[in-house]
Amino acid sequence: MGLGRVLEPAKMAAPMASSARCLWRLGAGVRRTLQPLPGLTQVRWSRYDINYKEPQLNKDYYLKPLEKLTEEEKFERDLRTTQIFKAPPPSKTSSLFEDPVISKFINMMMKGGNKVLARSLMTETLELLKRKQFQKYHEATAEQRESIECNPYTIFHQALQNCQPVLGLVSILKGGRFYQVPAPLTEKRRSFLAMKWMILECREKKPRRMLMPEKLSHELLEAFHNQGPVVKKKHELHKMAEANRAFAHYRWW
Amino acid sequence: MMLRKVIRLISKSHKLDPGRLLHVNIRASQSIAVGLDAQIPGEKSRAISRTQESDPAKHEEQHLSQHYNIPLEEVKTIFPHGFPPRFGMQVKTFNEACLMVREPALELLHYLKNTNFANPAIRYVLYGEKGTGKTLTLCHAVHFCAKQDWLILHVPDAHSWMKNCPDLLQSTYNKERYDQPVKASTWLKNFKTSNEQFLNQIKIQQKYIWNKRDSIEEGRPLGEVVEQGLTRVRNASDAVGIVMKELKRQSSSGSFRLLVAVDGVNALWGKTTLKKEDKSLVAAEELTLVHNMKKMLSNDWHGGAIVMSLSQTGSLFKPRVAYLPQDLLGKEGFDDLDPFVPIQVYNYTPKEFESCIQYYLENRWLQHEKAHTEEGKKELLFLSNSNPWQLERLCAYL
Repeated sequence: MGLGRVLEPAKMAAPMASSARCLWRLGAGVRRTLQPLPGLTQVRWSRYDINYKEPQLNKDYYLKPLEKLTEEEKFERDLRTTQIFKAPPPSKTSSLFEDPVISKFINMMMKGGNKVLARSLMTETLELLKRKQFQKYHEATAEQRESIECNPYTIFHQALQNCQPVLGLVSILKGGRFYQVPAPLTEKRRSFLAMKWMILECREKKPRRMLMPEKLSHELLEAFHNQGPVVKKKHELHKMAEANRAFAHYRWW
Repeated sequence: MMLRKVIRLISKSHKLDPGRLLHVNIRASQSIAVGLDAQIPGEKSRAISRTQESDPAKHEEQHLSQHYNIPLEEVKTIFPHGFPPRFGMQVKTFNEACLMVREPALELLHYLKNTNFANPAIRYVLYGEKGTGKTLTLCHAVHFCAKQDWLILHVPDAHSWMKNCPDLLQSTYNKERYDQPVKASTWLKNFKTSNEQFLNQIKIQQKYIWNKRDSIEEGRPLGEVVEQGLTRVRNASDAVGIVMKELKRQSSSGSFRLLVAVDGVNALWGKTTLKKEDKSLVAAEELTLVHNMKKMLSNDWHGGAIVMSLSQTGSLFKPRVAYLPQDLLGKEGFDDLDPFVPIQVYNYTPKEFESCIQYYLENRWLQHEKAHTEEGKKELLFLSNSNPWQLERLCAYL
């Protein structure tokens, strides 16, 4: 995770006083780590100290028999007996069927903290995808059957992959004017944009009486085949980036 | 794929415990049949999730936990109203209707095979917790009786008569009661589809007057009553009443055998959400359909059987955890139905669970890679607690 997101260069002297008070309240561990970094203000913070490690939810890690562990792994196991760990959030389980991409998508679809509704919409979408593909499978001939993908998870992942833009546009201020400069995006930002576009598309552009799972399954299938409005939006972004290619030198990072 | 199954079986054969039978190909199992037989004497060593026996009359203990196929043409005639919604979706997706042969169903079929038609009709009540398979057990019994050429009076869901009825009419026959024309006409249409051959054979034994101009004479076939109910929707509920009265009277004669199958029978003694014009609630007894149905469920006729199942799922104003007959039927319902033969339907046994998973795997329904592994199956078992309804919902999105 790192402290890069959490800290920011301090802006002015006036907010310095309030940020100093914030720093004090955060706890001894944080103070210890931040003291060597002068001029940095904690912006987004967590109640956990730096000493708290991430929990290990993968069952395979613990099921490995003792003989097969290497020296480093044995050392790591011994170290874990005395370390303190953060509590895992309720949405993270040691279930085999858990998927981080799907969990992220459910969180983005959630409104007002209604995780139950968001999760049920997601499961209904996956079921609908399966049923639609099965219908196509039964109606297709023997040669076409191999090309029909029935696994809703592969369709979902592939569809989101197809929607991810390669480059994005960043506003840069130069000479009093803001220019839209093409810039590379991180993996996180790309997947976020793909999911955001998908959800917005399904919420805004659906007929009044159509339910979300139906629209979402339809859009996912279209994106899987590289068609549909979300992939079109990605292509338009690419075209804008290509058009503004001349301003690429304004980027300094 | 067969080779993988053989290797898996050989590696697991030493881990077998008596209650659990593995589902393998016949060719693969013959090589280890000796080893397995030594561990489970007297039990069949191979169990497959499907059986070729599609006649319910021949279902024995050897077919337990196996799925048998109902041809789709028979589904259209015997179950014209369709199956319960989720099972109907499964039938449409897989293009086949497969029911699992389970213990309560076999018990019920055994009783039905040994019915003495000279004695009054015995009432069988299927009860159990939510989602254990009461409705599908009822469908199994209905399929059996249809194959044996009984006349089937099947009410797929009595709860639907108690709610969502915008066209409530005051009955012309009795001012106190209320008619439901649309629901009665749908029921008559389904009744006609499922019992075509009997409608011309049975003749009515009394003259019925519909209104000042229409009447039906004695000796006309029952089909005409049904036609009148379908064409004149206002008289549909009364047509239903006439059909039930005639069938009850004539089933004792022995020319046909009658099966009355009602799903969600606790609705008949429950509350409704229908309102009269003065915004007061309609009692269940004030509906013509319910009144006639209750007369049908009394055991003062012979020549058939009555099979019922309780259901909390569609019921109104009943707590979710209620599943016993006393809780769902209430004192009045229990006294009306007493004496009856109670048959409890349970969650899946380990063998049935394994069979269900194998059925889904054969139809390629479980698409998630991890669902094919042993760990995945253990997780499904834990999450669903072997409850068929819960398992079906879980496997739907995996």
